[in-house]
Amino acid sequence: MYQSLLTRRYLFSKVMPLLASVAVMLCSALVIVTWSVMGGFLAMLIGTGRTMIGDVSISWPNIGFPHYQDLRDRLEADPMVSATAPVIQAYGMVALPNGITRVITIRGVDGPSFARVTSFKDTLWWQAIDTPLAKDSDGRDPRYQLRDSAGFKRLRDSGLNLSRVNPDTGEEEGGVVMGIEMSGFNLREAEGFYTPKVVERRMPDGSITTVDTFLPASGRVGITVLPLDRAGNPLESLTKKLPVANEFRSGVYEIDRNIALVRLDVLQEMLRMNAGLRVREGEASAGTGAVVVDPQTGKETFVRPSEGELIKDPARVTDILIRGQGDRGTGEQAEALRRRVREIYDEFARAHPGEVPDSFDIEISTWEDNNRFMIEAVKKETALVLVLFAFMSIVAVFLVLAIFWSMISEKTKDIGILRALGASRGGIVWLWVRYGLAIGLVGGVAGLVLAYTIVWNINPIHEWMGEQLNIVIWDPRIYYFTRIPSQVDPWHAFYAVVGFVLSSAVGALLPAIRAAMLHPVKALRFE
Amino acid sequence: MPILTVANIHKTYRLGRIDVPVLHGVNLSLEAGKIVAILGASGSGKSTLLHLIGGLDRPDASPKGTITFDGRDVGRFSAGELDSYRNVDVGFVFQFYHLLPELTVLDNVLLGLMIRHGRLGYLAKARECRERATGLLERVGLSHRLKHRPAELSGGERQRVAIARALVTKPRLLLADEPTGNLDQATGGGVLDLLLDLRAADGAAMVIVTHDPNTAARADEVVRLADGRVVGR
Repeated sequence: MYQSLLTRRYLFSKVMPLLASVAVMLCSALVIVTWSVMGGFLAMLIGTGRTMIGDVSISWPNIGFPHYQDLRDRLEADPMVSATAPVIQAYGMVALPNGITRVITIRGVDGPSFARVTSFKDTLWWQAIDTPLAKDSDGRDPRYQLRDSAGFKRLRDSGLNLSRVNPDTGEEEGGVVMGIEMSGFNLREAEGFYTPKVVERRMPDGSITTVDTFLPASGRVGITVLPLDRAGNPLESLTKKLPVANEFRSGVYEIDRNIALVRLDVLQEMLRMNAGLRVREGEASAGTGAVVVDPQTGKETFVRPSEGELIKDPARVTDILIRGQGDRGTGEQAEALRRRVREIYDEFARAHPGEVPDSFDIEISTWEDNNRFMIEAVKKETALVLVLFAFMSIVAVFLVLAIFWSMISEKTKDIGILRALGASRGGIVWLWVRYGLAIGLVGGVAGLVLAYTIVWNINPIHEWMGEQLNIVIWDPRIYYFTRIPSQVDPWHAFYAVVGFVLSSAVGALLPAIRAAMLHPVKALRFE
Repeated sequence: MPILTVANIHKTYRLGRIDVPVLHGVNLSLEAGKIVAILGASGSGKSTLLHLIGGLDRPDASPKGTITFDGRDVGRFSAGELDSYRNVDVGFVFQFYHLLPELTVLDNVLLGLMIRHGRLGYLAKARECRERATGLLERVGLSHRLKHRPAELSGGERQRVAIARALVTKPRLLLADEPTGNLDQATGGGVLDLLLDLRAADGAAMVIVTHDPNTAARADEVVRLADGRVVGR
């Protein structure tokens, strides 16, 4: 009883314990903020990874596999599967209207089926919105301002179908949906929306003209790919100028900067993965013909194969993305779906012997597997940062230890009095450990409040630092996401507070034992 | 039958490498309800003797001496038994009051009962304990000072709080170390009267250490101590 009484009295009657509490508060707030940001970063990474690739994927990179429609039919007939989408993954280049060419990842997708498997529909950026973003109180977002415009409304359908009507021919053309950060023409405003940049160019006569940078309106980009034959050998590169149907924003900077979606049939044709006639393997090195070298002159001549050497080749894709039924939030559920998909693929492979990859070779992976490298890297980074900050709790231990050591010197006489009144050594230890716990608790809870305040306002704080101090810590080009995660995991916060409370108690333990070991008479005579 | 017997007690302190003998075979006995005054000059070992009797320190193991309280050898007490002995059987009044500065007057007086009963026991008996403490503070004339801190009291008032604290646990042995040594003569006289009156009311035996012959004269027996030896009674 006397311990709680003295703890209360000591805690608020001295400056030293309050300073110790402030130190614990700052340490715990720092750990909670870091853990929240890193943990939130990881959660966003996992969540976004899933939204772009579905739950499970079947993959045979580069040359792809045929009869994918049969495989889709088999998969979609299964009660565990909700939807499937055929996809081609390839590397290529994009040539932007300003002359810049960049290496990118190209995904050939069938818009409607891709939208059923992933969150593609929601990631399409240029579509009318009924309410402006939370921070856009003035409603400056073009998507909000132009929400009633017929042309703007068409953008959504264009994006979903990855196509755009050619104003000259009136026909729909297969197009491209680029990540919002790819072109560099979209300026991200502080409120969170994008506006097309105003780009000026000097004309040959010296005048300055403004270039229309809103690509989905009428812009085209050059997409260059390198087709492969069925043996995986590269053929001649192919470039096509495709209309930009829309742009997407996944929230992951890497994806939004480096991935362009092209309508599946267009990419199949460009990569020669569409249905058609091909030269039988082993009879020519090229998929649709052969280059013959004249031994006399060394001149190369392209020779088309005769009809008899051709075979019918069905269209191919490199991936099938699969979305499971119901909630598939955990890795275990995705794993169960993966096992079922493998069984279905086994049947499919048996139905097409020699034509499709063997079920032992094909890659069937969950969204976790597909993002494992990035997820594991972030997990490791999070663990590393937490270990570093855990050392801060050791700082808190020594801080409390030093303060208590000093306080016990000051309170030596009190200890002697308590011992004279019959307090046991254990009672004295508990008095000081309890005192340490109280300092840890006060500091930890105050740190929790501080951390919640910081994390909930971390983006405005960061923007303010950028504007006022020119300090940009969260560079989206480095950290994938354009926004800093701003959610506190209550369990992480709880563990951090408990950790610092215990650290403070540990810090108090040694001085407490010293206090208990004081000789009562010497303590009473202490001046 | 004496309630307290001190037989052939020696005590040596070690200062660095030097042994400093303080008590050399001290003997005394005290009947229940009686007062013995230990009279001596500064450095004669009287406070050390009081600390040994109160279980705050242990006598030398050799030569073997004993302190017997109520038939029990205090020297053989375990650490826990010594704590209990100090809390239940003994009440201390120190020259410099030794009040805890952060606690109120009432809390200072209640401290011994808090230690005795533990958290749950104290909460169960809180009302009874408070009545006992406030009753004693009333008897020492401080009922209007319950919520005051020691720093807000005069020396005489502080010593009266210390007397209430020593008696609140109803000890059978009261140990007073120069209880008026830090007070002026008038105040000291009043405090001594109060201490003796309250002790008499509770019937506790008392050992009072003093260098003042007038204070010693109030005791039933006087033991004169010089250089750690009993030189007269």
